[in-house]
Amino acid sequence: MLTRRDVLQKCVTLGSAVIASHFSPEAMLAAFQDREKQVRKPTPPNVLGPFYKRLTPMKSVLREPGDPGMPLTIFGQVFNTRGDIVPGTTIEIWQTNHQGYYDLDGYRYRGKLQVDKSAAYTFESVIPGHYPDKSRPCQHVHYVVAAPGHKTLVTELYFATDPVFEGDPQKNYARDPVIQTPELIRPVMLTGEPNEMHAKVQFELRLERL
Amino acid sequence: MRLNIAVVMLLCCLPITVLAQSARQEKTIDLPSGVSVEVSSVSPAGNLIAAICSDHVVRVWSAGSGDLVRSLQENSGLPGGLQFSNDGQLLAVSFETVKYEKGMIKVFDVASWKVQTDLTSECMFCAIRFSPDRRRLANAGNFFGDSYVWDLATQKKVATISPPFGGSSALSFSSDGKLIATADGDGFVRIYNANTGTLRGTPTEFLLEPFAVAFSPDGKSVLAGGADKVISVIDPENGKISRTIPKQAGLILSFDISRDGKLTAVVYQSSQSMLDANHIMLWDLDREAVLADFQKSGITITGGAFVGNHYVFAAASGNQLTLWAIP
Repeated sequence: MLTRRDVLQKCVTLGSAVIASHFSPEAMLAAFQDREKQVRKPTPPNVLGPFYKRLTPMKSVLREPGDPGMPLTIFGQVFNTRGDIVPGTTIEIWQTNHQGYYDLDGYRYRGKLQVDKSAAYTFESVIPGHYPDKSRPCQHVHYVVAAPGHKTLVTELYFATDPVFEGDPQKNYARDPVIQTPELIRPVMLTGEPNEMHAKVQFELRLERL
Repeated sequence: MRLNIAVVMLLCCLPITVLAQSARQEKTIDLPSGVSVEVSSVSPAGNLIAAICSDHVVRVWSAGSGDLVRSLQENSGLPGGLQFSNDGQLLAVSFETVKYEKGMIKVFDVASWKVQTDLTSECMFCAIRFSPDRRRLANAGNFFGDSYVWDLATQKKVATISPPFGGSSALSFSSDGKLIATADGDGFVRIYNANTGTLRGTPTEFLLEPFAVAFSPDGKSVLAGGADKVISVIDPENGKISRTIPKQAGLILSFDISRDGKLTAVVYQSSQSMLDANHIMLWDLDREAVLADFQKSGITITGGAFVGNHYVFAAASGNQLTLWAIP
């Protein structure tokens, strides 16, 4: 538990003491603890499977020229629960093709990369399809995020534009029983001409330290 | 004469699978309207079948008469897995008490249906296996968690097994109970000391997620298979794959090995639809030959056991559960 002195020291360190000075110490403490809580919350984990495949090649461009499906760019940065960037992180993703099928024989729509110096990453892919057998209702991308000194994160990225959510992921996220929190459902930015639409999704990752 | 030679040659060239037998229907059980079976376990003697039903009730039927023997409504959470002990005297049922986070296993005495043991942990339980002497129980913490080996007398954890990520979907004790093998989501089969949880061997040949693993009764090999559609035979001494059983079209969902170690019954699932677990093959492991092959659309194979010379399995279709036997 933080003491008032801790809060004041941190506020001074962060340069926020002047901004916060017209609040009562109690309000400052509450605001700081609230902020700390947000910073410290790691990305929620999600199920691994199915069909993780070992020895995925290092590549960030999973989409090949002429591939059907809406082009997708996934990007973000990796932080720890203190808010520091984690440059040594390896991110591995896999997903179905636009029709909802995984490649079990090869490594299509599977890729791995090491984040850059600013802990940023970008994958180029296509919007994954829905499983044709409806065994899971939502489009998703699987993530395994590993960094030295941090707990390996297994999670999934979902799309706010998925028709399953009917435009309200906050309300309808549980339609996929695997989704425990709407935090993993990310907004989708659509760019380009109507006949050449391109989707962009930002997904920041926060790792727990060991 | 030429025709005879041609016929003989043709017969010799025919794959053994052509001679494989199908399954025969033994008994059909009707469930309440709107209720279906999700997972089942057939007792080793073949006299009982226990099932987790879609209404979250665990039901036990007599396999001979099809009569309902017991409904186990425990209010302990959502049932996720169940398993009879090798002697059929105990039935373990796992429950999810907090979604993905906490679980509980109840061990029932089959004679009285009283709860003999209660195990609780910070882990969602999925697959559960008794040790052959039924003094211990192991559970796989699917998706996120660790797996544990429990001593049933003291109700304490003996060993904790922690794959790097992704949890385990299946596990199996060796016949002497000293080793335990796990099929892990990160694409590995791992073999551990069951008393300490110390890793003993890991074949590196697997690339895709294994879904099933089982020690042979003599303890000399471990069978594993999954998304790669191949059954691999692993030497537990060195952790190396010694041979593989021919690849099939479907993913390997589960299998059981006969008590003499000569046969394995394998449930295959379509790689196009994860809901179609409707294909079962009975393999002669030494000859790598198919003795029985049965596939039926509209059913889901939910569990089975070797009973004498036959493999008895249960398949769900709507609100019916049908028992089949092969060969």
